[in-house]
Amino acid sequence: MSDPSLASFEYLEKLPGTTFNKLYEQPSTALAIFRRMLPHLAKTFVMTLLYMSKPLPLADLDEWVEPNSQRERGDALSTLSRLHIVAITAPSRDNPQHVSLLPNFRKSLRYALTGGGNHHSFGVPSQDSDPDVTIEALDEYATSQWEGILHYLVHSVGGGRASGKLSESVTTLLTSGDLVRRPGSGPGAHGITKSGFSFLLQEVNAQVWTLLLLFIENSELLGMNSVEVLSFLFMLGSLELGQAYTTTTLTESQLHTLNQLVDFGLVYIPESTPTLFFPTRLSTTLTSDATALRSVGAGFDAAIASRGGESQGFIIIETNYRMYAYTSSPLQIAVLALFTKLYIRYPNLVAGKITQKSIGEAIRHGITADQVIAYLNTHAHPQLHKTPAALAGGPVLPPTVVDQIKLWQLETERMETIPGFLFKDFQDFKEYNDCSKYADEIGVLQWKSDGKRTFFVTRHEQLRDFIKSRKAREAAK
Amino acid sequence: MDGVDGTDRQEGKQDGPTPSLLFIILDTNPHAWALLQNTLPFSKAIANILVFINAHLAVNNANQVAVIASHSQRSVWLYPRPPSDPQHGDDSDTGMDDENKTDTSNLSDASKYRPFALIENSLLHSLRKLIKTTTEADIKATTSTQMAGALTMALSYINKATIAFLDTGAAAKPTPTALDSSDKAVGLQSRILVVSVSGDLAYQYIPIMNSTFAAQRLRVPMDILKLAGDTVFLQQAAFTTRAVYLQLKNLQGVLQYLMMAFLPDQLARKHLVVPTQEVVDFRAACFCHRSVVDVGFVCSICLSIFCTPPEGAICLTCETQLALGDYGNKPAVIPKKKKKKKRALDGGSSRATPAPEAA
Repeated sequence: MSDPSLASFEYLEKLPGTTFNKLYEQPSTALAIFRRMLPHLAKTFVMTLLYMSKPLPLADLDEWVEPNSQRERGDALSTLSRLHIVAITAPSRDNPQHVSLLPNFRKSLRYALTGGGNHHSFGVPSQDSDPDVTIEALDEYATSQWEGILHYLVHSVGGGRASGKLSESVTTLLTSGDLVRRPGSGPGAHGITKSGFSFLLQEVNAQVWTLLLLFIENSELLGMNSVEVLSFLFMLGSLELGQAYTTTTLTESQLHTLNQLVDFGLVYIPESTPTLFFPTRLSTTLTSDATALRSVGAGFDAAIASRGGESQGFIIIETNYRMYAYTSSPLQIAVLALFTKLYIRYPNLVAGKITQKSIGEAIRHGITADQVIAYLNTHAHPQLHKTPAALAGGPVLPPTVVDQIKLWQLETERMETIPGFLFKDFQDFKEYNDCSKYADEIGVLQWKSDGKRTFFVTRHEQLRDFIKSRKAREAAK
Repeated sequence: MDGVDGTDRQEGKQDGPTPSLLFIILDTNPHAWALLQNTLPFSKAIANILVFINAHLAVNNANQVAVIASHSQRSVWLYPRPPSDPQHGDDSDTGMDDENKTDTSNLSDASKYRPFALIENSLLHSLRKLIKTTTEADIKATTSTQMAGALTMALSYINKATIAFLDTGAAAKPTPTALDSSDKAVGLQSRILVVSVSGDLAYQYIPIMNSTFAAQRLRVPMDILKLAGDTVFLQQAAFTTRAVYLQLKNLQGVLQYLMMAFLPDQLARKHLVVPTQEVVDFRAACFCHRSVVDVGFVCSICLSIFCTPPEGAICLTCETQLALGDYGNKPAVIPKKKKKKKRALDGGSSRATPAPEAA
């Protein structure tokens, strides 16, 4: 998985095929999934197949791919079939395998590229607009709503003293997602959880997706149509910032979703005109990639700076691992406390020390050394930027501290776990060899032992089909 | 299982695919398109190219596109429109009104992804303007197209875009010291697609080859899609920059060709077998009459090529006095030593082949 928000899409892969078929009826969904979830080569395959009148023989596709890139080919094709985008016919003696796009996806993606149809899936813009709603105002609104949620999480560390601004539905969602535990909901269960910690340090986009997926899972319990909710979210990703859209064409589930999203800060509904909604930067970048997200970060920094100039660096680190942070923000102090041992707090300053124990603690919470270093780097005090090394273009943080943090992380990385499936008890070596080779080609093979005739794969669906068809072929002989 | 480690640190190590810039040079030579009227009308070709542009933009959110028209007498920006469009105000009173109407109705169409609609509007508007401002005199003046100018503009735009991208986007990424120093995909991946309909461009030989070598140095592939005619130098350009060259036989399937051969960017092409030419025409054009030559004369000082020896044997480029040697004389026949025919006739008695007789 190339980034955290992409990882959240794994939820989608668990959906049944019929759900996908319904989802792909909306061109905006087809476009978003195409853009966001496919490996690069898979996108090329889809575009090639899009305007092909007949199914493409699989052998022709193989010829097209460089012999050294069979792994990428297998990866691309397996992703495509997992997401129910292509259909590959079963092999038989008379008919070689063919590959083609599934009709729903093909139709929708064509509509997305050419326009046309009557699906209105890219949002219905409204002619009237609200002069008060500027892009800056939307940014500010989104920031304040989102920070409200983060503050709620952080305050739960100290126990109570929640800002109280959050709506009931959001807090329920956070609790049900196991990001925070309500006081009294279990023995000793109090405050933020482990997943809550890693949530705090994620990128904003990944945070938004985490919450939205929680919301979708919850909405199913409430009897809402998850397909409608999902396609609404994908539609939001294709809207334009600062443009007003009308709510009159939305279904009931979608209206309910919209109200929820107002709490998250993803959309803004002016009080004077309740039939209009404005997407904020949080929602228009839902289906964007990393480059666009940097602009979100920039937008947020600007919004914060306009409110109090807090985006300036405030952390000083010395080569003896001591850390001083000029801040009084509970959010920042709580984040610092995740990986430093704090021992002094003054009205505008906290002091602490980075120790092996404190870093180890952070790593157990699922925070990486790189995240810690990146956090320290972005929030480094201007004084650190003035050191001779930094002025010469060198590192801002003391290299010894950076190296040591990485070393402390390496100490804990002696083992890596990969969930998967073990294949063993093959009839003969040839069967074992064919299967393991195929597994390697489609890129799921993790480990194999020729002597024991066993191998370990991360996914088994395609391999199962392969073994079945192989058996059938053997039987036919 | 995860309890052993309990962290998800393994994730998020890889960076997303790099965005790419597609620069399309559209040959709008009116003469050549007129010949294609029956097989592939201009409007249909534009519609196909628009779908292709949308497909390119759909691949990655940060993908960029730029289109330039290589017209009969000048190269014109189609998209993005230049910031200082001097003629922008002029035609606002004539045709702009109804165009504006269609613009807004198209943009508020909820069935079309807005960025796609924006580009389509802008492109079509520029094209209409281009056609409107083309006078009969312009068409009569020349039957060719300003390919060299368009290529030069493309390269300078790509260079600018690359620098801008490195400045803003890639703060965390290592900045390449020189554009041609590393093979790794860093920053913006740019490529040029020339949709060419015109025939020979021999009179632009030098500027076209210069931009080809510049593109090669910048690692910008110059893909060529030939709808009609044949141009020696574009073949060479595609070959030099290791790009795709396709001469279409069946113009109906142009979209499929675009999607399959030209949509993959450099990143995807690493994994694909890309169509290339079997035979590349490596002939050059002479500097004196701009005609393609098989065999010519080369100045030994500056390597300029001439189809006939220049007047007075003075090189037109570097003005060196050249010596032509015995050029122009009929090749002298060096008489062979005559062999005696008799020996061949009574070969049996020859001393040269005694062996068979002995056996």
